[in-house]
Amino acid sequence: MNEILSLISPRWFSFKNGGMAQNAGNRRIRFFLFAVIGAAFWLGAFFIFYRVLTYFRGVEEFGDILSRKLLSMVIMTFFSLLVFSGIITSLSKLYLSRDLILIHSLPVERFRIFIARWIESTIDSSWMAVLFSIPVFLSYGVVYQAGPFYYGIAGMTLIPFCLISSLLSVLLVLIVAAVLPAGRIRTLFVFMGLVFVVALILAFRLMRPERLVNPESFASLVLYLQEMEISGSPFLPTTWAFDGLFHALANQHAAALFDLVLSLSAAAALFYIAVWIAGSLYFKGYTKAQTSAEKLLVRKKAPRPHCVRPLTIIPRTTRTLAAKEVRTLLRDQTQWTQLFLIAALIVVYLYNFSVLPMEQAKIRPIYLQNLFSFLNMGLAAFVLVAVVARFVYPAVSCEGDAFWIIRAAPLELRMFLWVKFFVYYLPLLVLAEVLIVSSNILLQVTPFMMVLSIATIFLTTPGIVALGIGFGAAYPDFHSENPSQSVTSFGGLLFMLLAAGFILLVIVLEAGPVYQFFIADIHGRTLSAPQMVRLIISFGLVLVACILSVVLPMRFGQRRLSE
Amino acid sequence: MIEIKNLTKKYGKKLAVDHLNLSIAKGELFGFIGPNGAGKTTTLHIMAGILGATEGSATIGGIDVAEEPKRAKKLIGFIPDRPFVYEKLTGSEFMHFIGDLYGVPEATLPAKAEDLLMRFSLYDWANHLIESYSHGMKQRLIIASALLHDPEVLIVDEPMVGLDPAGIRMVKTIFRKLTDNGKTIFMSTHSLEIAEELCDRIGIIHNGRLIALGTTGDLRTTARLKEGDLEEAFLRLTGKDDS
Repeated sequence: MNEILSLISPRWFSFKNGGMAQNAGNRRIRFFLFAVIGAAFWLGAFFIFYRVLTYFRGVEEFGDILSRKLLSMVIMTFFSLLVFSGIITSLSKLYLSRDLILIHSLPVERFRIFIARWIESTIDSSWMAVLFSIPVFLSYGVVYQAGPFYYGIAGMTLIPFCLISSLLSVLLVLIVAAVLPAGRIRTLFVFMGLVFVVALILAFRLMRPERLVNPESFASLVLYLQEMEISGSPFLPTTWAFDGLFHALANQHAAALFDLVLSLSAAAALFYIAVWIAGSLYFKGYTKAQTSAEKLLVRKKAPRPHCVRPLTIIPRTTRTLAAKEVRTLLRDQTQWTQLFLIAALIVVYLYNFSVLPMEQAKIRPIYLQNLFSFLNMGLAAFVLVAVVARFVYPAVSCEGDAFWIIRAAPLELRMFLWVKFFVYYLPLLVLAEVLIVSSNILLQVTPFMMVLSIATIFLTTPGIVALGIGFGAAYPDFHSENPSQSVTSFGGLLFMLLAAGFILLVIVLEAGPVYQFFIADIHGRTLSAPQMVRLIISFGLVLVACILSVVLPMRFGQRRLSE
Repeated sequence: MIEIKNLTKKYGKKLAVDHLNLSIAKGELFGFIGPNGAGKTTTLHIMAGILGATEGSATIGGIDVAEEPKRAKKLIGFIPDRPFVYEKLTGSEFMHFIGDLYGVPEATLPAKAEDLLMRFSLYDWANHLIESYSHGMKQRLIIASALLHDPEVLIVDEPMVGLDPAGIRMVKTIFRKLTDNGKTIFMSTHSLEIAEELCDRIGIIHNGRLIALGTTGDLRTTARLKEGDLEEAFLRLTGKDDS
């Protein structure tokens, strides 16, 4: 046991010594910002569940069924996420981490190394799911006026729940890694996982869960009840967790304890099976993971590999930097496969507009359509911020330890950053415009709102991309094993806050004059002179904000990167 | 060819390089040695324009690196101690990438890249992703790419790390050939045998200060040794001599 604790200790020491690091100040601010954002999400989740459950309880006869269905869906979602996260984390911890060479050179039995890495992987993959499951369980407790027994069972249930999901993930990884090199499995799992998540999101959304609160939309009451009362298999850990929680809510102590013990014993059994299998498969898989990734991409002899031949009017240095950027991005499957996820989110986003029940609203549809269209500009910009955070912000950090090449080359950093800017700006502009135009078509907005949306997105996209590049350059992390995580750093948070602030500023500046124009248009009037002046000033300020949001972050990033 | 005047670098309160003065002639192979943390890599990085100095200057071929970094860098080939490169490019693509950045004429670049890949025994791997290269192959690729634009000055940090005996011999021969053709090499190394064998002059840096400069014979004199090799002189001068 001491050896296992020693193997985990570097992690603890790194955490403890974080305060001694040069960027300790940034770390504290980051922690504070994360705490605030986390608390907001946490309270938001609690509030939403509390409201939904209170509403369900008010629905006679079906209320409890709806609550049960909701809980089973939540548990199933948590479990799926835990398993997926467990696969990716355990693969990295057991086979791909840089420190594994050192760890395997230590005079420690391999099964102990396996257990230590599994513990780390379990903590890493489940802490967030645990944290955000608490408001859900808490809201059930509050709405059902449960006693301390429920809270105790809920807390205890989470332990075997996380252990079982993590053990199932690690068992799968152990078996597959013995057959395939771990580097390729990661690509495979990331790809499969994303397809799974995309399918889950699409299936969930296309199922239109909002109908659950509207029994009238079902063909008949019988069909509705049938849909609601499908129970889970008794062999699934999700069923044990679900049953345990509901038995505890109903004060059925013995039944709840039985479900808890069932989960705990399953976790213990799986642990022994995992350690037993690891004894024979772990080192075999680890050895396989160390083999050279030979011939991953062998091309026919191509003496001048120019994929950008038609673009010869662009200066040579710019062209070669852009080609390098595109190649490195596209050849890293863990990067571009995430585009599927974004595509799914966009489909869901657009689908939401297509099913908006405008005709049922009490407000006149024309108001609603234009109000949604206006809000849609902000929403589309926020979607863009999310994409920029994932792909653009880490672009400078992705240079990694090879950044010395850029520093040593006869090249101005300004140009290096502007090339990155344009490589991402052009496709993202197309994405944002497609998003806004298609959602506006679905909303059937007025031509004025269509033009305004297109123009606003056209003006704000460069600013959002520049904020991503600029702050990514100002706060780079060249030594990270996974640069895409750099967005969770202090600089990443600063980028997200500023980008959100920038979008809000543009929306606020446009809202007043647009409202006046819209009302005047409906009443067949023209804008008065003061209203016209206000409109010009507001749009002038939007233009200034958009220009500054490009120039300032790019300069800031260049200055910081040069230091 | 290389002039270093009063070069000083501070990391916070720590003085990494302390008023360093050096002058390296054209065609000279200069060895820069010192214990770990003496300030070797910091000096090399400032010379290559990767790092800014706190004080003083470094000029390459009469061009101040801090004032005109772009012009100065065109004269320099930099070889770092650790071979970090873009893993998702092929060897050939990497050579073309570097050639484009350093402005190697497009007409001659393919032939030059091919020739260097051949000389460094990488031709068969030219179309493989760099992520499949061994440490030594990556090191050879970096050396090959640094020679692509015929630099007047080669700044080299620990060139032999990770190379096999054949690779070491190859690099030694190439370095000698380059200096015979009038190129200047500023090389930091921990290998005293290589410094003794290859370098025209050697500078010893300790705690950021240049404590000795000259040929192996000069260093022996400075260390007040009548005989013995560079290792003994080095240990004596840096105060690590326990005997």
